[in-house]
Amino acid sequence: MTGRAVIERTAFVAFAAFMLSVPWSVPSLISQFWVSVITEILIWSLFAASVNLLFGYVGLLSFGQALYFGFGMYGVGIGIDQLHLTFWPAFGLGIVAAIAMALVSGVFAVRLTWHYFAIITVVFSLIFYFIAVRIKPLTGGDDGINFSMPPTFTFGRSVWSFTDPTFQYFFILGTVAFCFYLMHRVTRSPLGKAFVAIRDNDVRAALIGINVYLTRLTAFVMAGFLAGVAGALFAFFGRYASATYMFYHVSGEGVVWAIVGGAGTLFGPVIGTTLFIVIREIVSTHWEHHSLIVGVMAILVVILAPKGLVGLWRAALDRMEDAKQSKAMPRMVKTEL
Amino acid sequence: MTEAVLETRELTRRFGGLTAVDNLNLTVPSGQLHAIIGPNGAGKTTLFNVISGLLRPQAGHVFFRGQEITGLPAHEISRLGIKRTLQVKSVFSQLTVAENLWITCEGSKRFLHPLRDAQSDRAARERVEKTLEQVGLAALANRPAGTLSYGDVALLEIGMALISEPKLLLLDEPTCGMSPAETERAVEKIREMARIVDIVIIEHDMTVVFGIADAITVMAQGAILASGNAKQISEDERVREAYLGRPEDEDYVEEALNA
Repeated sequence: MTGRAVIERTAFVAFAAFMLSVPWSVPSLISQFWVSVITEILIWSLFAASVNLLFGYVGLLSFGQALYFGFGMYGVGIGIDQLHLTFWPAFGLGIVAAIAMALVSGVFAVRLTWHYFAIITVVFSLIFYFIAVRIKPLTGGDDGINFSMPPTFTFGRSVWSFTDPTFQYFFILGTVAFCFYLMHRVTRSPLGKAFVAIRDNDVRAALIGINVYLTRLTAFVMAGFLAGVAGALFAFFGRYASATYMFYHVSGEGVVWAIVGGAGTLFGPVIGTTLFIVIREIVSTHWEHHSLIVGVMAILVVILAPKGLVGLWRAALDRMEDAKQSKAMPRMVKTEL
Repeated sequence: MTEAVLETRELTRRFGGLTAVDNLNLTVPSGQLHAIIGPNGAGKTTLFNVISGLLRPQAGHVFFRGQEITGLPAHEISRLGIKRTLQVKSVFSQLTVAENLWITCEGSKRFLHPLRDAQSDRAARERVEKTLEQVGLAALANRPAGTLSYGDVALLEIGMALISEPKLLLLDEPTCGMSPAETERAVEKIREMARIVDIVIIEHDMTVVFGIADAITVMAQGAILASGNAKQISEDERVREAYLGRPEDEDYVEEALNA
């Protein structure tokens, strides 16, 4: 194994170990409050991953992912509050609603690329935002829907439910980790290679026989699934669903998180989301204009590190390996890059 | 004569007021390396774009081995076995050399597995390795294609053409921008390929065309000006006028000599 693989594996194991210890380590080190912040970071990371799947892997910049997040949320909220569903059917309804919406809008959206694509995704998201605000009896409008949490598992007398913060944390961690694992598998698969080929050169991709339209639509629906799962989890986490999360401002945050963290990398969105939510939580208690910091950082990263923070980290590892190699071969003339 | 591998009937493609391909009847017999030449703007690349499905014609038909392919989407035409290169070298710059070959080999499958590891398909991997050897890029297999030199990109393009097992290969100025040494290598590869596959080539370099083509079609203003073998074409008066040497240029040379 190379030095680089060792470093990356160690970092991943340390990260995984920390995530598994959060319900015990974080309250003793900082406070219980931060457990819920970390839970929220997990959910929003999955949302940023949805943006990343489209932009980082297929080259489609969507400013409308909040729509599918919102459908995931409302699937759960309406499912529990109005249809009186239990936990799993409501979860399923949220995901299916998001996928169905992604399929319907994707059929139109992926015919377009670049700014046309970005605009149509915003338009779809705005249309459904205003519809959701208008149909108050169903959606609760601006106030949203509050619901009481049904249990997740019931075995005889033992009940697991989100009312237990530790169970809630591990359920969300497990679901998000599973989705990231799926995405990891997809990006390494034949379909994932076709995604990147289309991102690099869509005309050439068509000429080698890839059905560009269908592949883009597949990616769009998959991204809708990720955003839908995130939205459903967020509804369970907050015990409510609201149209405000369907507004395109939320989509924009996902785009910033994914790009700053590193679009086209699996963990970039996690890092970007973590950074900005931590800044928000720390700074917002002292200073109300915390979004200024977010803006400045986003601009700096886009200019100085176009491949995001993960790109910076990888470049540092590359330099480290180059340094090792040039130490081993001191006579070799290094070419300027 | 064998069956025509490619045939166009009254094919027309206009851009606004400009007729790029004008009522074109072209027949490419099987088993030949066919070259299309012509001055800039003659409609050669537009013809390729229409054949390969990137553009739809306004009128006329395209037949591939007797099957009508007019207006089919590009990926379906590609899946029938018509592969092409683009005039401006275009590979997938962020994929590695091996991945470029891999996706070209596997991309035309109807179903792309969403969860299986791309590396796990042994048959495809072996074909990639074989092709890397064939075009001499084995040492660069793991380099991103965007970091290759121009000549290596051209070799990769040829590798991509090979691995896709084409039935008909459309090459759009394959030696454009190459050094003489690179051109020679590319011409060698094209000759090799021509033994196993039908090739139609658009080329500006006359020495390349006259060196490798069995048959030449000259296009001018979207229509066929002349066709024949290298000798017939180089002696054709109309072709000389339209393309090879302009009388004014000769006058200019004479004047220069007399001065």
